[in-house]
Amino acid sequence: MGRTPSISPDTAADDPLGSLLAHPALWRGRSLARTDTHSTGYPTLDEALPGGGWPANGLSEILSPQPGLGELRLLMPLLVRFGQQWPARWVAWIAPPFEPYAPALASAGVPLERQLVVRTDEPLWALEQAIESGACATVLGWLRSRPGDALQRSLRRLQLAAQRQRAPVFLFRERTVAQSASPAELRLELHFRVGGARLELLKSRGGRRGAFDIEWTDTPGVTHGTP
Amino acid sequence: MARRERAASVRRAFTAPGLVSANPAAAPRRAAQQAPSIADLPPVLDSLFDEAIESWLALQLPVSQATPETLGRLGALAYRYTSRVSLDVDAVLLEVQGSARLFGGIHTLCAQLLERCRASGLEPRWALAPTPLAALVLARAGRSIMVRARDRLMGELAPLPVESLGWSAETLERLDSLGVRTLGALLRLPRAGFAKRFGKEALLTLDRLSGVAAEPRRGFLPREHFKVRSEPAFELVTQEAILQHLVPLLDQLEQFLRARQCGVDVLKLRLAHRAGKCTRLDVRLAAADVSAERFATVLGEQLARRALPAAVIDCELRSGVLQPFIAHSDSLWRPAEHGGALGRESPALIERLRARLGSEAVYGLCLVPQHRPEIAWRVAEPALDAPSQCTAEALYHLSTLRRPLWLLRQPAALPCAVSALHWIAGPERIETGWWDGREVARDYYVVREPHGAQLWVYRERLPPHEWRWHGVFG
Repeated sequence: MGRTPSISPDTAADDPLGSLLAHPALWRGRSLARTDTHSTGYPTLDEALPGGGWPANGLSEILSPQPGLGELRLLMPLLVRFGQQWPARWVAWIAPPFEPYAPALASAGVPLERQLVVRTDEPLWALEQAIESGACATVLGWLRSRPGDALQRSLRRLQLAAQRQRAPVFLFRERTVAQSASPAELRLELHFRVGGARLELLKSRGGRRGAFDIEWTDTPGVTHGTP
Repeated sequence: MARRERAASVRRAFTAPGLVSANPAAAPRRAAQQAPSIADLPPVLDSLFDEAIESWLALQLPVSQATPETLGRLGALAYRYTSRVSLDVDAVLLEVQGSARLFGGIHTLCAQLLERCRASGLEPRWALAPTPLAALVLARAGRSIMVRARDRLMGELAPLPVESLGWSAETLERLDSLGVRTLGALLRLPRAGFAKRFGKEALLTLDRLSGVAAEPRRGFLPREHFKVRSEPAFELVTQEAILQHLVPLLDQLEQFLRARQCGVDVLKLRLAHRAGKCTRLDVRLAAADVSAERFATVLGEQLARRALPAAVIDCELRSGVLQPFIAHSDSLWRPAEHGGALGRESPALIERLRARLGSEAVYGLCLVPQHRPEIAWRVAEPALDAPSQCTAEALYHLSTLRRPLWLLRQPAALPCAVSALHWIAGPERIETGWWDGREVARDYYVVREPHGAQLWVYRERLPPHEWRWHGVFG
């Protein structure tokens, strides 16, 4: 960690002007210091995102060309934190591409008893139910959009529901939808990089854009070798 | 009146035994229909000097049959004859003295009740005695007699072994060492000494057996069901029409439940069509509820999922078992806001999802202590308040392993050629399960495929040494 993000932060914690500007009563067009956020657990990412973390009320879209580039690892610190919150609330997994593997989640510190997996062909309906119920700390949804799908309006409904219930909602989508508009608060695109990931900020409140790298903290297995 | 009846039963006491054995027609008839007629029952042991206050009939089932469900059925049968019914671990006890006259005497009542038991496939052992415990002891000992007088009860109890009281083995051993082997000998022991050696509880049991002390018993209440049928004025074709027709029925159900402070978690709906089979909908709620609105929502989701074969001409709504329902007051804050507690939101969410997607589509996760990756987890019933499974021991075991966040339900063929993979870690050998037929012998590797995704793949140890893809490090 400790890498400088490739875009310069609007506010820095150590300079006096920055701390003044971070005052919650002060609103600047591009900083959005007042947005509620949850820390991502990755300092580089926290610095780069407006408000210092994942939007706490609303949609975040994570676009990736395929599963397995680290999209779940990005959320692990958040899921662990939600697991320790009281009263207990669900972490809903709507239409995940594979089975969430319980041993890996448990060893990452995510409490299994709060995970709720929903298998469905209509993820939008299930997402809306899960968000509207107010029983979920966060909702993760995987959308596989077919060409010609008009998701705009449905996503808008989800965004409004998430704001109403004050829940962070994460949608995992293909990279191909990057060109279409979305009401999400935050859009990130995930690219592969050895030992980490490259994140491209496509959309955020305050209009900040750019790309930055993050490193995975876990160590690879002890033994190395090829068969 | 009671005196006359007693006199009649005394008369029977002298005549009945001779009648049964002497009547040649009685035996084949009994063999043919297996129903106890009044003549088959033994005479009532009555006394001219002792006024019977209570007469308890014990119906005792063998251990293999004595499930709570069967006992409940037997209790419901008995409830027809008296409201004083009580359940024991393996028996149903009912007080029949109070209602004997209504049914034409104790003999008629008992014969009717036993006949009904037999008709519903139950063959309980039975006995009648002035105290519930004595009736139970006699029934357990297989002595089908009818005793109404307390002074004649002792004579019947005396020869029974002490084991029939169901006391602990230790107590029985101590009694045996005292040379006490029958209830008669037990009842003859000096009270003070007995209480000192075996405790006041044991003495109280003996008093209850003989009727010196009263035995208050918890009453049995038969289960209630809600059932309503309604025939619409015209055929119902659309789901909205059916739902609209059901609304007053659900309102009735809510009133029924609210009057009893109960809720239900199972609803059964039967929709009849002009021809063909009925459509049946079973609705299971995640928690017992009373609100007609919620029932309508869940039923609506279920109806939307089902294609009805024809128009509906008749609706029948039945409830499952009633359960005590405690209403919660709504929280001032939104769930989890300012630390507010979660109320009914969580079961409501699961219900709604399950009603539309099917119950197996919504599940929780659970660890299984296994090395084989595919059975190291399993699907669990979602329960937020379940005890945490992440015990220190399990976590220590897991922290030494590298496991992917995604697992494929079935290991699949590699998405690319083996030569294109970049090796990151491995091998980890998992070779186990030879004892249950699901043996695995695999070498697992962590690899990166050309597009950058980290995969968990394995190579079979057995020929043809196939490569399979089993997980993704999301």
